[in-house]
Amino acid sequence: MDAGYVCIILKHDMKFTKAHLKYIAALAILIIALNKKSFADGFPVRPKTLILNPSVSYFFANKEWDSVGVKKPFPQNGQFTAITYSLSAEYGISRRWTFVALLPFVSNTFEQTGYRNSANGLTDLETGIRYYLANIDYKYYFMLQGTVITPLYTNPNLGYGQSGAEIKLSFAGSGHLFGRNTYFSLEDGVRQYFGSAGPTQNRYSGTFGITLDSRFKNQVSVSLGGFYSTSSFTKFDPNPAVNKNFAFNQVSLSYGHSFSRAFSVFLSGGTFITGRNTGAGSSASVAFIIKSF
Amino acid sequence: MRLGKILLIVCVLLGVTAFNKTLAGSSKAHQEGEVSTTLDIHDSNGIFNGTASFTFSVKNTLDKDQDGTVSYQLTTEGGVKVTSSSIKVKIDRNSNENYDFNIPDLKTGFYKINFMINVTDYDDTTLRAFGIRAKEIKSSYAKPADFDQFWQKAKDELAKVKPNFKITPVPKKNTDNRDVFEIEMQSLDNYTIRGWLTIPKTKDKKRKFAVLLGLPGYQVDLEPIVGQDDDLAIITLNTRGQGTSRGPINTRRDEFIFYHIDNKEKYVMRGVIMDCVRCVDFIYSQSNLRHDNILATGGSMGGYLALAVAGLDKRVNLCSAQNPILCDVRNLVGEVDWPMSSIKKFVATQPGLTMDKVLSNMDYFDGKNFAVNINCPTLVGIGLLDPFAPPNNEYATYNNITAKKRIMVFKDLGHEISQKYKDLEGRWMRDTFALF
Repeated sequence: MDAGYVCIILKHDMKFTKAHLKYIAALAILIIALNKKSFADGFPVRPKTLILNPSVSYFFANKEWDSVGVKKPFPQNGQFTAITYSLSAEYGISRRWTFVALLPFVSNTFEQTGYRNSANGLTDLETGIRYYLANIDYKYYFMLQGTVITPLYTNPNLGYGQSGAEIKLSFAGSGHLFGRNTYFSLEDGVRQYFGSAGPTQNRYSGTFGITLDSRFKNQVSVSLGGFYSTSSFTKFDPNPAVNKNFAFNQVSLSYGHSFSRAFSVFLSGGTFITGRNTGAGSSASVAFIIKSF
Repeated sequence: MRLGKILLIVCVLLGVTAFNKTLAGSSKAHQEGEVSTTLDIHDSNGIFNGTASFTFSVKNTLDKDQDGTVSYQLTTEGGVKVTSSSIKVKIDRNSNENYDFNIPDLKTGFYKINFMINVTDYDDTTLRAFGIRAKEIKSSYAKPADFDQFWQKAKDELAKVKPNFKITPVPKKNTDNRDVFEIEMQSLDNYTIRGWLTIPKTKDKKRKFAVLLGLPGYQVDLEPIVGQDDDLAIITLNTRGQGTSRGPINTRRDEFIFYHIDNKEKYVMRGVIMDCVRCVDFIYSQSNLRHDNILATGGSMGGYLALAVAGLDKRVNLCSAQNPILCDVRNLVGEVDWPMSSIKKFVATQPGLTMDKVLSNMDYFDGKNFAVNINCPTLVGIGLLDPFAPPNNEYATYNNITAKKRIMVFKDLGHEISQKYKDLEGRWMRDTFALF
């Protein structure tokens, strides 16, 4: 192998590495949204009540799905880790309207043999308004949410760096099963990033939870969610960050414990089950729910 | 769920008489099997817009064929025969048979129907009730022209009585999460009435609680209601002549309903209803109670009082009436035993007093006439087999409500409602009061 050939390989690997880092970083941010679904969402909030949801999640991936959904290891023992600290909030404005916000901070690292790259910082701020449209028997609630996405960074390794908007519809309800109280929520949001070839994303999730005791102290839930991202930029490029066409589905399991009406903790674990043009990883998170009763 | 349990306890304490007829099916055991029947009314609420339809099913697990008839007899709620039909049947051994019956061209209203089976080894009757175009039911009797003036005068008299509200802690009745108080106040005619107030324990001295005002059933002594709910203050009121408010009106149980019924200005219910209004005054006097989140609820007489106070006092924000009695009173005559039987007996002992006079007085105390004036969202629960609050009368009252309303019909129940009602009531209240 001559020196010139080695040089070419290295340059190619560097390009490939950065590309992976960029799209996986974006993915790590998106995981926040999925981990949020480990507890009941989509139900109205008492007016003048603030619900704070600080959380920490850890994401690890050392495999990827390629453009045709074939799963394989990252090249050169590559592995990606991300720690995400996020704070989401919902404030009851009135009986039907709430204000929502999400502020994430991400610290991620991509390592390969002989290569390491880290990035950290605030990512996409989400602010929105929810309107609880209607209900069925005061048991099943429909909610519509409009969200504005504001990037708080310039580092391209932290996300698209584009503003965006999302409209989301959810259907949530409660019931009984096997003598236990249950709840579910189904959500689907369509998000558009503005700017050059800004992707259009469909974000969906479904959660089913069941309480383990009659006083709502302990509960478990299972969630299935995913993203389907497309862009006007359809030409295939080996750089996935430019590609912007990807998809994945994740399952997660969560356990929640309420210490009081005002304070609960949720522990969650999840893993990607299908994908295209994306990393194949797993996540773990701890989230706190603090209500201002 | 917790609220549902609380509301159910309220319902029980408020005197909804358990009247659980186990009429859904019946069977006869036999040495080697049995004959059993079920009746399916082809509407979940037992109310049809046109032809009423039923399926009568017979299961024969005997090792013997069964010959005979399946028949029905249809009557009005007052027992007047409308129609009947009978068919010959043969149910082979170890087999099932279904018999469909359609009854067309019935007038608007509720009916009782008896399905009878008379076969070789088995005789039985299944009683049910059903309705035709219930939303069109109207009472044939008008509200008195001076009804509103009559009650305004009563409220004016009440306003002149100094309430002298008293709240006395009763620590021995406290629970781990609630404080219990006895409440006392002066009502119409300076009558002392009492009740109970339970409030969730809280460190937030500024917190205000929505209020569930539980109203009593006939001659029921209400106790404080506790439970696990963290959002509600619960008041249970013993109106005059009952429980801790018995006082001078110390009647025998069956005499209370006709106490001074010969004079509408003195009839006991005038004071009882004003007691409920006075209790709303009490709620308004308390800084830790929400004045815009008041649910008036009760069963039987409590349901009637919920309708009455919601009709007379616009400070009530939600009304929940389960099996309210004294609705469309003139049409109760001939349809129910109690309370009309007690009233008739009383009239018979009073020289110069006629049933017409009593019914004229009762027009001022008719649930359907209070219903007209209700402005707040109202939930009503009825049982089609209710012997004290028949569905015709309940619908005549419900249909008079012009506010947002909903009715839950229990086609297999008598003078009671099920947990489903209490669950819905709790969710409905929480949604309306934004107690998410």
